[in-house]
Amino acid sequence: MKQMSFWTASRRVFDLSLGEMLWSRRTIFMALVVGGPVLLALIVKVVELFGISALRVNGQRVAGFGIFGVMIWLLFLRFIVPVLGVFYGTALMADEVEDKTITYLFTRPIPRGAVLVGKYLAYLACTLLVVLPSVMIVYFLLVPFSALPTTFGSLLVDMGLLGLGLAVYGAVFAFVGAFCKRPLVIGLIFAFGWEQVVLALPGYLKQFTIAFYLQALVPHAMPSDGVASILQGMFREKPPIAVSLAWLSAYLVVFLYLATRVVERKEYVLEQ
Amino acid sequence: MSNKTRYFVAVTGAILVIGLGMGLVASYMGLPVAVFTSAAGPEELEYVPADAAVVAYANVRDVMNSQLRQRFREMEPTQEHQNQFEEKTGLNFEKDIDTVVAAMMPKGNLATDPEGAFLILAKGRFQAARLEALALEHGATVADYQGKRLITHHDADRHDTKHDDMAVGFVEADLIAFGSVTSVQAAIDARRENRNVVGNIEMMRLVSELDNANAWAVGQFDAIAGQAGLPTEIASQMPAITWFSAAGHVNGGVSGVLKAETKDATSAQNLRDVLKGLLALAKMQAGSKPGMQQLADSLILSGEGKNVALSFSVPSEVLEVLEGLAKGRKGL
Repeated sequence: MKQMSFWTASRRVFDLSLGEMLWSRRTIFMALVVGGPVLLALIVKVVELFGISALRVNGQRVAGFGIFGVMIWLLFLRFIVPVLGVFYGTALMADEVEDKTITYLFTRPIPRGAVLVGKYLAYLACTLLVVLPSVMIVYFLLVPFSALPTTFGSLLVDMGLLGLGLAVYGAVFAFVGAFCKRPLVIGLIFAFGWEQVVLALPGYLKQFTIAFYLQALVPHAMPSDGVASILQGMFREKPPIAVSLAWLSAYLVVFLYLATRVVERKEYVLEQ
Repeated sequence: MSNKTRYFVAVTGAILVIGLGMGLVASYMGLPVAVFTSAAGPEELEYVPADAAVVAYANVRDVMNSQLRQRFREMEPTQEHQNQFEEKTGLNFEKDIDTVVAAMMPKGNLATDPEGAFLILAKGRFQAARLEALALEHGATVADYQGKRLITHHDADRHDTKHDDMAVGFVEADLIAFGSVTSVQAAIDARRENRNVVGNIEMMRLVSELDNANAWAVGQFDAIAGQAGLPTEIASQMPAITWFSAAGHVNGGVSGVLKAETKDATSAQNLRDVLKGLLALAKMQAGSKPGMQQLADSLILSGEGKNVALSFSVPSEVLEVLEGLAKGRKGL
């Protein structure tokens, strides 16, 4: 049987995997995670309709766009993007191994690496189709129309940033999922252990995190009060935009390549 | 791909396309604010011309009814003069005026023609016929402009043709506009042609950020500084502020926040440094006086990037000190 080209095979796997990913049990988890900020924005909107400020810093009202900025920082970039990257990225190959269905994919006349690339693209489409509309809804709930022309550019940067974050975290965790035996645990330790601790420490170790470069690209300033100002103090050291983009692109390409190589070479032993 | 997946992709894609489309239209073509939401600030802003550099608002009713006003009421001068004015005009400032909006449009040189640049919009209950009759008695003329009654007063002693006559326009049943003839006519045109300050995105952004204030002012600092005719030595020393806002809430005490937006982050940092020094000095000076110390402690400097904000609160203890001082002077 003639073997399909790499990209045709990837597209076939993408078609198959997108539906599977969207209608899996994980989607409920994703809906909850992404629905949280929407619900929060809705509460803020209702509270502000009654003339009460939803967020105050130093006695000053934080305007809608300020709250949106805080949500992008703390909810989307620091939590939702890594968590989706971990849960979906590590499962790309691990699920097939666990369900013992990987054999069916590997016996098809397609390059093995195309299975991972197709699944990775499906992950990216699936998460982007859920996260970006959620960000859009949060933005329109929080930011008044009068502020739209001045803030819309930042929204586009935010959306690009979230897309980049999902792509890089997905690539890193796709590699972890393909290479390691307990990828979810390792992924969680990396995203919520290593990254959090190292970012708070002085020194060069933070350069070995994704969050360090992602944060450098965020167009929003954190409000300087209490916990927020402590956080800002932690993240004050930031690399130039070009350097951040270069490192994130390098992470994406290198880890996706490594993940593909691992899938092509590794012998997956299915437990009986 | 199943139909279910296709529908999902179509719906989420549609949300993105609609949102991006609306944002792009608003950014590049200037979506009118009123299409989807009511504009921030009072309705009278629709009478403020689009070229206004400063807009200020006061809820006179709130301020008059505040505990602060009641506290200082007994120290006010005699009511005789006030009663005479009321008898003539039928207007009691305390009861008949609800809100006042003031605007400044620095077209020419502020230093040489300040009256021509101001516009005052007062909302309340006015006896138009009585005011008109009184104005006619004093030599004013009454005419219609775009269907609104306009009382114009020509100052016979003034022969300078550069200065405009002053006018009062009854623009709505409960709203009068006061200023130079040009300003009042511009106010009527601003509302009629829908070319008013509500369309000024930057100004309205600052107005929308004001929270629970019964008196506020926002404006373009560089526009007024440029027209104020300041000596070069002073102008060159002024901080590079582009926009400013001041908002206050008057009740038992007075609390508020002053905000400034500078040309760049460096100017903002310089301004913050200067203010930090002044705050430290104020705290040192207030050290031994309990009331003043509370006031000094309430001064909080904040801001990021190009923004500088200074919030303050004058507590009732400080007002008691001031009240005591005022009473002491009166006694002397």
